Amino acid sequence: MIRSISLHKQAEFWVLLPLFLVILPHFPRLPSWIIFLLPVFFAWRLLAIKNNRLLPARWLVACIAFLSLAGILLYYGTIFGRTAGTSLLCILLSIKLLESKKQRDYMLLIALAAFIIVTNFLFSQNIPTVIYMLLMVTLITMSLISINLDTTYIPVKKRLKMSASLVAQALPLMIILFLLFPRIPGSLWKLPDDKNSAVTGLSGIMSPGKISNLMQSDAVAFRVKFEHQIPEQNNLYWRGLILWRFDGETWIEGKQNKNTQAEIETISNKTEYSVTLEPHNRKWLFALDMPSQHPDSIIYNNNYLLRAKKDIASIYQYSIQSYLNYRIGHNLSEWEKKTGLKLPPNSNKKSIQLGIKWKNDLNTPEEIVKHALRYFNNENFFYTLEPPLTPGFDPVDQFLFETRKGFCEHYASSFTLLMRAAGIPARVVIGYQGGTINPYNNYLTVRQNDAHAWSEVWLENRGWVRIDPTAAVAPERVESNLNAALNPDESRPFYMHLNSGFLKQIGFYWDAIDNSWKQWIIAYDSTKQHRLLSYFTNKKINYYDIIIALFISLSVVAFITSLFIMKPLRFSKEDNAQKLYIKFCKKMARRGLIKKTYEGPVDFSQRAVEKYPEDKSTIDFFIRLYINTRYRSRQNKEQINKMKKLIKNL
Amino acid sequence: MNQGIPLLPDFMARIIEKWASKRLPETKNNITLVRQRIYILPTRHGIGFLIILMFILAGSINYENSSGYMLTFLLTGIGFLGMIHTHQNLNHLKLNSVTTKPVFAGQIARFNVQLSGKNNKQHFNIKFQTVNSDPVSATISNDQPASVIEIPQLTKKRGVCKLGCIKAFTEFPLGLFHAWSWIELDAQCLVYPAPEAHPPAYNFSNLKASGKPSQLTGNDDFAGIRDYQKGDSSSMLAWKAIARSGILQSKLFYSESGNEIWLRWDDLPVNMHTEQRLSILCRWVIECHNKGIIYGLDIPDKKILPASGLLHQNNTLKALALYGLNQR
Repeated sequence: MIRSISLHKQAEFWVLLPLFLVILPHFPRLPSWIIFLLPVFFAWRLLAIKNNRLLPARWLVACIAFLSLAGILLYYGTIFGRTAGTSLLCILLSIKLLESKKQRDYMLLIALAAFIIVTNFLFSQNIPTVIYMLLMVTLITMSLISINLDTTYIPVKKRLKMSASLVAQALPLMIILFLLFPRIPGSLWKLPDDKNSAVTGLSGIMSPGKISNLMQSDAVAFRVKFEHQIPEQNNLYWRGLILWRFDGETWIEGKQNKNTQAEIETISNKTEYSVTLEPHNRKWLFALDMPSQHPDSIIYNNNYLLRAKKDIASIYQYSIQSYLNYRIGHNLSEWEKKTGLKLPPNSNKKSIQLGIKWKNDLNTPEEIVKHALRYFNNENFFYTLEPPLTPGFDPVDQFLFETRKGFCEHYASSFTLLMRAAGIPARVVIGYQGGTINPYNNYLTVRQNDAHAWSEVWLENRGWVRIDPTAAVAPERVESNLNAALNPDESRPFYMHLNSGFLKQIGFYWDAIDNSWKQWIIAYDSTKQHRLLSYFTNKKINYYDIIIALFISLSVVAFITSLFIMKPLRFSKEDNAQKLYIKFCKKMARRGLIKKTYEGPVDFSQRAVEKYPEDKSTIDFFIRLYINTRYRSRQNKEQINKMKKLIKNL
Repeated sequence: MNQGIPLLPDFMARIIEKWASKRLPETKNNITLVRQRIYILPTRHGIGFLIILMFILAGSINYENSSGYMLTFLLTGIGFLGMIHTHQNLNHLKLNSVTTKPVFAGQIARFNVQLSGKNNKQHFNIKFQTVNSDPVSATISNDQPASVIEIPQLTKKRGVCKLGCIKAFTEFPLGLFHAWSWIELDAQCLVYPAPEAHPPAYNFSNLKASGKPSQLTGNDDFAGIRDYQKGDSSSMLAWKAIARSGILQSKLFYSESGNEIWLRWDDLPVNMHTEQRLSILCRWVIECHNKGIIYGLDIPDKKILPASGLLHQNNTLKALALYGLNQR
């Protein structure tokens, strides 16, 4: 009976608003037909607040729902997964709006809104997103309050205040639960593949244009905290992938060598550091050239690359150790030799000719490498983010002999091909180079625009050696950053214009805050939880301890919060006057004049004046102030202070 | 006491009600709700909320999503505090029964209960319900520190109708919890017998004299006070009474015309049923009053001397209502 009460109109609007606002951040991720439909449905419902008959009939709602479901299936091929699921949820919520009239329907909608908030977190857990969602929770709480009121009008401001204070009171409980609720490592069920989602980051292949696209983004790729000193900028080569196969146009990882063992001969410059990797939905982990030790949870493959055991879908942290001076691949395996020398058939013939010519002209592989680097340096090569297009089957030929304008991927690609042609086993490495040191927290931030490609060649007695042909053309790229390497006249990505002076400082500051947020909150997991508790108890922690700690602190906080709610301070601010009046009455009572229960302040003061004519002015003034503040709602500190003084003088 | 408890099957609700009835507070005409007698259970929405929390938690664990955890725990906190707030919304509510106007049997008695909050506490959307009636809701806020609600109750027979047990409940602020308390307020409503629809014509033969019917609103003697009616002249207004009660009231006077009658129990057939007798007498009283006749009542255990006026009518009707009942 109570549950079927239809809502009063002012409550309806305040339910619609937060529903729309929680969907809003999803708009860029939704297919265009949903982006079109959502506002239509919301507007429809908004119009129907005035006139319920505008709402569609049930069969029509059912039809719309069925068509939308079919639309999602056609568009994504599934209704599961992050984007498809979110789209489905958003469209279903807006369709449910069209048939919502009763309080019960709105309770369901509000529950759905909570779900949509969580789906937002699957895409972004940045500070602005989380703050926005906290505001949304406040709004949702307000809409719950609105639909649970009777018809008495409570102003929006007051309702908002109620919900804000409810959320504020819940924060201590949230903090305790967040810190102490036992965290389970790993997932409960297999995450569905999500091929539709686009994440900025390296792709597993290198073809012209792939990496220069990344240069447009200043999104954070990962952050690094070094235990000791941060190595020189030109030593910061973050290895990610090795590309063995070249078809004349594109470099790919290809089938990997499974037979050899990774053997590293460490020499000097040990560096210990921990990396906080932003999710990129791949298994790749990045490490300084060259990692030697790693935790068990990480796979170290025979190309000396680190791999996670599953795709990195949320922020991921690992601590490793690298040697900047090292020797690897002392013995070249048959597979490596064969693959490292393989040339693409029937393409880039001129480049291959050049390589063969170098092999014939020069004596040792070392001389060939030096000659090639000199070639890039002395000839008319340019480093630019906007290279001319090289269509056709021989992009390396076109680059080396025609355009000569390019970017790290062009240099790495052509250098590696030249080396192979000259009989030196070579491979392409992609990853990141450099990074920015944030002076506020001494973290090194590596961004997508630090993406880079270079080569490794195999030399007798030296093993695999890193060669960066880009450094031969634009040494600034390696020693400083991308911005320094570009020609002053070249147009730059937007973020580079912000990268100066005051804005740069703000950028560092924000980056430091963002980093702490990610380190302490987003990356908070069972390891950190255990570490936190052992810090306080000085002993090794198990799950049993965590549950006890949770139980105790939760009870304490819940108890204190409940007390706070149950015994609200007797007089709120506006009742200061009342407090003083009671004090006045008590003072009078001590002097022998007791206020009768039926007596108002004016009558009482008259009696008081009769009895103590000497205090007439004080009493009259006090009572006038009291009546002014309390009954004419003219509240200010001055008056209260005056009243306090008067009372003292009595 | 059977107003239902959300989520519980009837037999369990009955057990709880039986237990609670032993814990009912003393019947008084003003009651302040206290913690000990406020019960609380989640509503259907509350259970739904819990299930959704579970889902969000499972998702957060699976995706190792810290913000998801945060949201789950924030909502948990809000839900928990919502429970405290729902309880507090009922706690310290003061109920004060105010006089109730008498009604005729079969009419709806409207029990007036004044609500206020202790120490200016606010109470939002509190509902009151008796056994067979729709709930009445009330809000006490800073803007409206007290309010009087009318709890309707259908009367069936003459006598004294007691308000009986009412259930005060609330689901404010979030609708996730249902807090309630059973209250027995000492509120009574006098129920007059239902006036007989087709009474036998009164034998006016024992009317003393056949003068013109007296004019109730004559100006001779003060007869009493009644609520202001349209047409009353301003000179009739009872200013003192208005000042006391705040309701427009008029003074009544009647002129002594000397035509008085007796409404007698024995005038009706001997074998007539008591209740029917009372109904007929009731109708006669009303007619006499309306016609301005001076009348007296003579029933077995009570005799009311002839008079007229509202007060007299009320006394007569009260005598009829309470006939044969032990009046305390």
